Amino acid sequence: MTKELALTRILPRWNPTSLLKIACLTPVVLYDGIFFLLPLIFLIWIGFWTTENYRAVPGFSLENYLDIFSQLFNKSRYAYAIAQSIWVASTTTVLALILCYPFAMSLTFVVPERYQRTALLFAIAPFWTSYILRLYAWQTIINPNGLLNSLLLQLGWIQSPIPILYTQWGTRIGLLHYLAPIMILILYVMLSSSDRSLLVAARNLGATYWQTFWRVLLPLSKPGLIYSATFGLIISLGDVLSGVILGGGTGQSILGKVPLFSTVILNEYAASTNLPRTSALATILILLMVAILVISSRFAESKE
Amino acid sequence: MKPTNWQLNLASWIYLGLIYIFLMLPIFALVLFSFEDSRFPKLPWTGWTLNWYSELFANDQLRLALTNSLIVSPIAATIATMLGFLAAYALDRFEFPGKKLLSVTLIVPILIPPLILGVGFLGLLSRLNLQGQLYSIILTHVVILIPSAIALIALRLQQMPKDLEAAAWNLGATPWQSLYRVVLPWSIPGIIGAWLLAFTFSFDEFVIAWFVSGFSPTLPVSIYTMMSSSLNPSLNAIGTIIFLASVIILLGVELLLVPIFSNRQTKPVDS
Repeated sequence: MTKELALTRILPRWNPTSLLKIACLTPVVLYDGIFFLLPLIFLIWIGFWTTENYRAVPGFSLENYLDIFSQLFNKSRYAYAIAQSIWVASTTTVLALILCYPFAMSLTFVVPERYQRTALLFAIAPFWTSYILRLYAWQTIINPNGLLNSLLLQLGWIQSPIPILYTQWGTRIGLLHYLAPIMILILYVMLSSSDRSLLVAARNLGATYWQTFWRVLLPLSKPGLIYSATFGLIISLGDVLSGVILGGGTGQSILGKVPLFSTVILNEYAASTNLPRTSALATILILLMVAILVISSRFAESKE
Repeated sequence: MKPTNWQLNLASWIYLGLIYIFLMLPIFALVLFSFEDSRFPKLPWTGWTLNWYSELFANDQLRLALTNSLIVSPIAATIATMLGFLAAYALDRFEFPGKKLLSVTLIVPILIPPLILGVGFLGLLSRLNLQGQLYSIILTHVVILIPSAIALIALRLQQMPKDLEAAAWNLGATPWQSLYRVVLPWSIPGIIGAWLLAFTFSFDEFVIAWFVSGFSPTLPVSIYTMMSSSLNPSLNAIGTIIFLASVIILLGVELLLVPIFSNRQTKPVDS
């Protein structure tokens, strides 16, 4: 502390440092200003442009939004796609938490401390291999003649192949495989830094394992759980690859065969290259995510 | 809370094993089926082959895409690491108005889904007539690579004893000299780690590249196009090669990051 104070007292007298500060910050501020903030502003702005003869025409019109809202329940059925996205994203996130939390717990409390690092490294390893190729590999595993089905058939556990590929479960498997390494990392970091003396105290005071888990460990993990849930929702809503490659673009659900909203955005652009309309759809996705962030931050604040 | 209960212990180990199988299964399948004879990956093993590898090297489309990726990713990673280093240094050492806002703005691109960024990037670039080129992908990838570069290098800078730089100043070095001679050498492990991470992110990125690349696809974009046409086992072969490459990169990151994390007072935390 005293060292830092001394340093800041020296700083103002050195004129070159302010020059240095400007030289260090200017490139990154300019870069992110031009290539990050500007595109976001453009995205929202272009949503109000119109298209004439396949060319985007600058202006301000609500045409795109009116057209999208008129197709909420018929033709493109955007409302169904949004509902489908929210459904898949939320169920996948809950599943991911249920899968990853016990894993992180076992890693923290059962694996000997000196092996934990290596064990964690192995758990994160899939994240570093190409996502699109992992999905391709899942295709060869879960297709009707794939690894999983032929194994189950040979074992005699099933009589005919179970369809997983090109169903909503396919989408979920792909997303889970993407989310799991990151969630495990977040939950492990949180669990391993939580105060163990509280757990020991609970046990000493006569709590069973179950009570200790339910009354002490779980409340302690709340921030990490909310953090990873938010993360899972945002990733799942924005992901296009899993839904297209493993979900087959559409997914059977109570709503019927409906694609995910992210798939709709990608496919509409691929089919029409209508940028103003695609931008309007993307703006709607942004609003959806902002709503999720607001709700999850409310969640984090409440129940303290 | 170390369970003394051996049943709980056993259950935990079995659970760990099952999840590891889930996590490793696609990689295992990728490597295994890249050597299988049959075009359709099935369990009764039909025979070994290296055909898919030779087919891979004969595939012009993939080779071109790989070349594109090997141009885009290193350049994007280098620019992002340079910008990230300067930003991390400034954020670590200086106080200025709007510092908090700036650090949030610099980190936020990694939290925004690439689908949204991709549409936005295309909007801006097509307006400036910069779309559909290799440099379009480089320009846009840098934005999403900066956050991790800043985070890693800042982590390394935080461990630097503050008086080291002050000592250099007292010995007559200008701030510029001490940045170049003292801070930069200290940050080297962080910088290399950040570069490798950025390279991996860029090499793997699909959605943004799909939107802005036009007719110069990167590897993931080209793979995506191939996948929609047919089942092609040479994708297994390229997957195996990429996996091996990322294992090597991962080992590099691990070896470089171990010193960074073990220097910390708190428990080791991964990137």
